[in-house]
Amino acid sequence: MTAAIVVKDLRKRYKDREAVRGVSFEVAQGEIFGIVGPNGAGKTTTLEMMEGLRRRDGGSVQVLGMDPAREPYRVRERIGVQFQMTAIQEKMRVDEALALFASFYRRRGDVAKLIAMLGLQPYLGQSFKNLSGGWQQRVSLALAAVHDPEIIFLDEPSTGLDPAARRELWEMIRGLREQGKTIVLTTHYMEEAEQLCDRVAMFREGEVALLDQPKRLVARMAGWDYIDFVSDDASLADIERLPCVQRAVETDGCIRVHGDDVQQVALAVLVLADSRGWRIRNLRFAAGTLDDLFVLLAGGEASGEARREGSAAKGEGSVAMGEGSGVV
Amino acid sequence: MRSFVNLARSEVRLFFRERQAVFWTFLYPMLMIWLFGVIFGKQKLGGVSYAGMYVPSWIGVSVLTIALYTIGTTLTAYRERGILKRYQATPVRPWTVLGAHVVYGVLVLVLTAAVMIAEGRLLFGLTMPKSVGGVLFATLLSVFALFPFGLLLASLAKNVRSAAALSALVLNIMLLFSGATFPLAIFPAFLRSLAHWLPLYYVIDLLRTAWNQKGFAGSWSDVWVLLAIGVVSIALASRTFRWQDA
Repeated sequence: MTAAIVVKDLRKRYKDREAVRGVSFEVAQGEIFGIVGPNGAGKTTTLEMMEGLRRRDGGSVQVLGMDPAREPYRVRERIGVQFQMTAIQEKMRVDEALALFASFYRRRGDVAKLIAMLGLQPYLGQSFKNLSGGWQQRVSLALAAVHDPEIIFLDEPSTGLDPAARRELWEMIRGLREQGKTIVLTTHYMEEAEQLCDRVAMFREGEVALLDQPKRLVARMAGWDYIDFVSDDASLADIERLPCVQRAVETDGCIRVHGDDVQQVALAVLVLADSRGWRIRNLRFAAGTLDDLFVLLAGGEASGEARREGSAAKGEGSVAMGEGSGVV
Repeated sequence: MRSFVNLARSEVRLFFRERQAVFWTFLYPMLMIWLFGVIFGKQKLGGVSYAGMYVPSWIGVSVLTIALYTIGTTLTAYRERGILKRYQATPVRPWTVLGAHVVYGVLVLVLTAAVMIAEGRLLFGLTMPKSVGGVLFATLLSVFALFPFGLLLASLAKNVRSAAALSALVLNIMLLFSGATFPLAIFPAFLRSLAHWLPLYYVIDLLRTAWNQKGFAGSWSDVWVLLAIGVVSIALASRTFRWQDA
């Protein structure tokens, strides 16, 4: 596989802080590459340096073999970009916007096919401001793809969409990939990264903390399996004393118990509950997800917000990282 | 070239979808010419008929309003909403976008001027200029001076609201004190000298001269001042104008 994008030791400094601190990765042709991470992790800045919209302070970027800082117009001829905030004039109609943007490029895409694929036909005569968020997002995806680009950059494409619209968007992004396009997207939603991306780079404080296939990232969360249940009278201290239990935490009346062998953990907890006369409800088995990994990474140091969300996150985070579960 | 034509056409189309903008651009100057016509219509002002004074001067005012609002404030709004950044992500060159806006502004100006000239002829017996070429030259020079000036003001504004406020301030000061509305002769000396600091004063003086006499005799200094305003504004605006909010 040839690389569509090669990023090496990329750096960007703003007045008061280093936003991107030595980021390196490659994106293969035809790949859907995800960049995830908390707000302020440097995702958008990195994306904009690849698009040639922001000057970098160090490192190198090759997009389709070209440096976007040196040949911005040649690069832009072959890439498509969708920003976080969709921006075209409110009173511009969908068909007008498509025609206008198509005229910017030397290369002509099959606009009719694109309209069909995105289901835009009934909305062509509508002005942009009359469309719902989901349809605005489709239009901006169409504008990014109108010239049949080789690479499409999507900055948080599904933010603000309802779950159904989000799934439809994923289908369209997969459709674009099937046409041989390379997709680079940023997202907040771990589910999106897991469902959509071939590989995911997790950003933290301007660095790549982890980079792998989502499945393999989730596998790193093995040992992160746990059971959840609700109980009013169970004693955390007693549960933690069980030999097969690594750790038990309570959040809002829900008790989460971690252990290497969750089947053993469940059995031991139930036996203990039986002997003490605790009442246990809603018992379920769960596996670590990218969400857990995300909270863990974000909560580990960077984001106070994530820490507050789950009181457990910080403590768990340091343990998991310390135990060499593969977190860089 | 294709993107240039399409951008200009798209802006013109969007302009006519904004009813308010259309009203202020076309009806407001017509109303003002009529209103001042009611006041001064019968008088000869400096040996020239009312219409010969006020129609050229409102053409000059239109150059300014188009520079401030149709171009300056609109581009500030486009910057704020990320529309310019969206263009920036395509192969379109910055000068293509700006050039398209200038062409669109000139088109709006031509329509406004046509409407005002028609009104002047129908209601106030406006006589056509002795040298159409001279009027065209004076108008183009005004565009060259004021469009970049409007762009410069817009680039100094943080957002649309401050751009609109700044534009309103500049427009009102110039309307009152540049001789566009009230004849400078009625002002005390210190206010008359203020006029010489306002770009619109030179635009109006030149347009009136061009309309009412052959050649620019007595007004060549206007030509140089306007050239200078244009050159300086372009130089400054090309430094201060931003395509995206930081």
